Amino acid sequence: MARILVTDDAAFMRMQLKDIVTKLGHEVVGEAENGQVAVDMYQEVKPDLVTMDITMPEMNGVEALKEIKKLDADAKVIMCSAMGQQGMVVEAIQAGAKDFIVKPFTADRINEALSKAL
Amino acid sequence: MDTNDYIEIFLDESNEHLQAVNDQLLKLEKQSDDLSIVNEIFRSAHTLKGMAATMGYEDIASLTHNMENVLDKIRNSSLHVTTEVIDVTFAAVEALEEMVESIAGGNEGKKDVRDLIARLEAIENGKQPEEEVPVAAKATTQENLELDEYQLTVLDQAKEQGFEAYQMEVALDEGCILKAARAYMVVEAVEQHGEIIKTSPPVEELEAGEVDRFSLIVLTKSPAAEVKQSVHNVSEVESAEISPYVTVKEEAVLATEEIAATKEEAPTEAKQESHKAVTSKTIRVNLERIDDLMNLFEEVVIDRSRLEDLASEIKNEALQDTVEHMSRVSEDMQSLILTMRMVPVEQVFNRFPRMVRGLAKDLNKNLELEIIGADTELDRTVIDEIGDPLVHLIRNSIDHGIESPEQRKKAGKAEKGSLILRAFHSGNHVFIEMEDDGAGINREKVAAKAIENGVLTEAQLEKLTDQEVNELILASGFSTAETVSDISGRGVGLDVVKNKIESLGGKLSIESTQGKGSKFSIQLPLTLSILSTLLVDVSKEIYAIPLSSIIETLMIDEKEIMDAHGQRVIDFRGNIIPIVSLRKVFNIEETETNNSTDQAIVVVKKGNKLTGILVDSFIGQKEVVLKALGAYLKDVFAISGATILGDGRVALILDPNALVK
Amino acid sequence: MKDVRKFIVFTLKNQSYGVDVSQVHSIERLQKVTEVPRTASFIKGVIYLRGNTIPVIDLRERLWIGQTDTTDESRFLIVEIKGMQVGLLVDAANEVLDIGAEAIEPPPEMIAGVEARYLEGVAKLKDELLILLDLEHILDMEEVQEVKQAIN
Repeated sequence: MARILVTDDAAFMRMQLKDIVTKLGHEVVGEAENGQVAVDMYQEVKPDLVTMDITMPEMNGVEALKEIKKLDADAKVIMCSAMGQQGMVVEAIQAGAKDFIVKPFTADRINEALSKAL
Repeated sequence: MDTNDYIEIFLDESNEHLQAVNDQLLKLEKQSDDLSIVNEIFRSAHTLKGMAATMGYEDIASLTHNMENVLDKIRNSSLHVTTEVIDVTFAAVEALEEMVESIAGGNEGKKDVRDLIARLEAIENGKQPEEEVPVAAKATTQENLELDEYQLTVLDQAKEQGFEAYQMEVALDEGCILKAARAYMVVEAVEQHGEIIKTSPPVEELEAGEVDRFSLIVLTKSPAAEVKQSVHNVSEVESAEISPYVTVKEEAVLATEEIAATKEEAPTEAKQESHKAVTSKTIRVNLERIDDLMNLFEEVVIDRSRLEDLASEIKNEALQDTVEHMSRVSEDMQSLILTMRMVPVEQVFNRFPRMVRGLAKDLNKNLELEIIGADTELDRTVIDEIGDPLVHLIRNSIDHGIESPEQRKKAGKAEKGSLILRAFHSGNHVFIEMEDDGAGINREKVAAKAIENGVLTEAQLEKLTDQEVNELILASGFSTAETVSDISGRGVGLDVVKNKIESLGGKLSIESTQGKGSKFSIQLPLTLSILSTLLVDVSKEIYAIPLSSIIETLMIDEKEIMDAHGQRVIDFRGNIIPIVSLRKVFNIEETETNNSTDQAIVVVKKGNKLTGILVDSFIGQKEVVLKALGAYLKDVFAISGATILGDGRVALILDPNALVK
Repeated sequence: MKDVRKFIVFTLKNQSYGVDVSQVHSIERLQKVTEVPRTASFIKGVIYLRGNTIPVIDLRERLWIGQTDTTDESRFLIVEIKGMQVGLLVDAANEVLDIGAEAIEPPPEMIAGVEARYLEGVAKLKDELLILLDLEHILDMEEVQEVKQAIN
């Protein structure tokens, strides 16, 4: 079981992710609605893994990933992306993201990503 | 997962985002270069897409997905914000609102969005053909990859240093969506073990996406199983096979040379063919370059006429034949260059659907706009100028033509009015017609107004045909609308439209049947660059007068010019028309006195007013290439441009409209 | 020397003037000018040059220092400001000079009858003064429009 921080600007997406992740036997230790909040919470709750939406207000997912990597070079971050964000995803991988999942999410895909990353 | 639990929050957030998109779009329309607005819209579209896809609302998801693609290209500056982009996005938002509403009403939120998607895709791809990513053929070759000389050298050296070469075949999951990013992760995983010296298809294609199977050659000191495992550690990898790489050279030791040779040839040929298949037949050329080409070409034309003169002086038959041939060829070249400047009228028409929608709403009219022949091509210069007159005519039709739904019902018509915008080619002209099934022109009302305004007497009016009465509404200061509305009652009448069209060398005519509707017909020249003119001479300066405004040329005796209240006039077919001397208007000094009592007069018309322009003599008719006078000399009185004569001299083109009193 | 600029040097009324070489498109011999009626009197008309019609102005008249009588030495200096080409009628075009920034001084209120607002500065050369023109101001559209309105 891993402790997970879920980041997405849509409350709806956070609820959904939380649902899936919990059913897979993990614990959601925090929810962040933008990149800045995610960075702040990362320091606070020290999760095992972060799911990070790319398109968000304040600070986008890729910037937040870079910030978190500065705080903790070993941080495990999985990007949540939508179709058509290839460039951003590649940038995130270069910046050290472990994996990415594409919306709409399936439990299988999330399971694969989590088990490979952890 | 039971999505019903989330439907409320989904609806709330969706509506929030749709409202945001709406607001931002309106802003964007005013500040089309502000990318931060595009970003806002993109983010909302993006969030909507994610939520809708999860909830299984596929139509919303696919529409927002296409919106996002277009917006993303704008963010990356590979597309620009055009009215088409705004229009389509507005239409898409409308469709989305409908779908969300339907979901709120307990329905499935389904809607046929294919048309919108096609339009978005057209924007995304159509206007950027060079960016179109050809759907790469699946890399099916399980055969050995070929290496070039350089790669072979690298490979040889690496082997000497104890590296092993492996070829890997990687297949991604069928459902994998961001294939390029996934391929990138695979490449990165392999590169932790060594150097990749080749991929097939090439890296560029992998990065462009759409490739779900690829091969690569890696030089590494790690065991094959380890390399394979790290690829398997990447998500969405269906399979990864690894085998030692054998070069063609090494293979050739086993096979005959002939076989190796055919092997080498086959893939190259196939590649060339597939390359040909995706090559587009059109290229994009900057308009400036075409103008430059046209300018250079005009130099040739000028030299050509010099050559023609020389050839006829020298009277050498072979030379004359050659020059004649050159003339024909250069005429063909000229028309070819002119066609390069042609663009579809669609560019102008595109903004009308939304405008009509808005106007209909504002004026409580119910109507449908049909556009026919949007692919009709017109000279770029005309396209730039024709928009405003068309807007005015459309406003006029919706405001004064199409009746309110109640009135239409009373008149036994369908409640929904129809407005047809039609463009087509005919001969050397392009026609744009605007036809409505509205009230038509009311002869009595127009007649009453004309008499009230003192345009005509009752006696004159009775002689007029319906057609002539219709055209009265194009006279200046004419407005029959009983109530002045915001839309077309701005004190700017249809006369402005008519003048604008005439200044473009075109004609505006009206057909109308009371109670049935009206048709405004605009006839435009195919190109503005070439103008049919009459060359005239005034004190040795040559002026060109556009034929489109000339009614007749006259040679009359000086005595026939009369004086009426300080204004010189002549009797032209029973009408008294004023005479304007070009010499006087332009303050041209007299170089030699004209001893002849014959006076050369060009009768021109503006609307239904005639004026005679007094010149020294007529030179003849000539097709001239129109040149702008440029920014430094803009708005020169009665001059619309310049042209270059055969001897390289500049002749000014007259704007007769300015001379008609 | 740092900050050296190149200037095209030409004469008007026996006085040397300079314009930055980057603003000069070409130097042309005189050719037939087609008068454009009802424009400012310093606008001599238009000429045809490589596919374009270019307005030409009498620089003396523009600077309010008289009128030019053309000679064999007279030239059109074709300059380009903000994408707009204009021909300047000058008495003669002489040479290209390198002038260090330190040799350029702000213009006095009036020099050789030319007002300071048309000038960028004055450069002191060995035996004479070179008056550097501010073409942007000389070709300023607003002033041209004002002049035109005054006529019409």
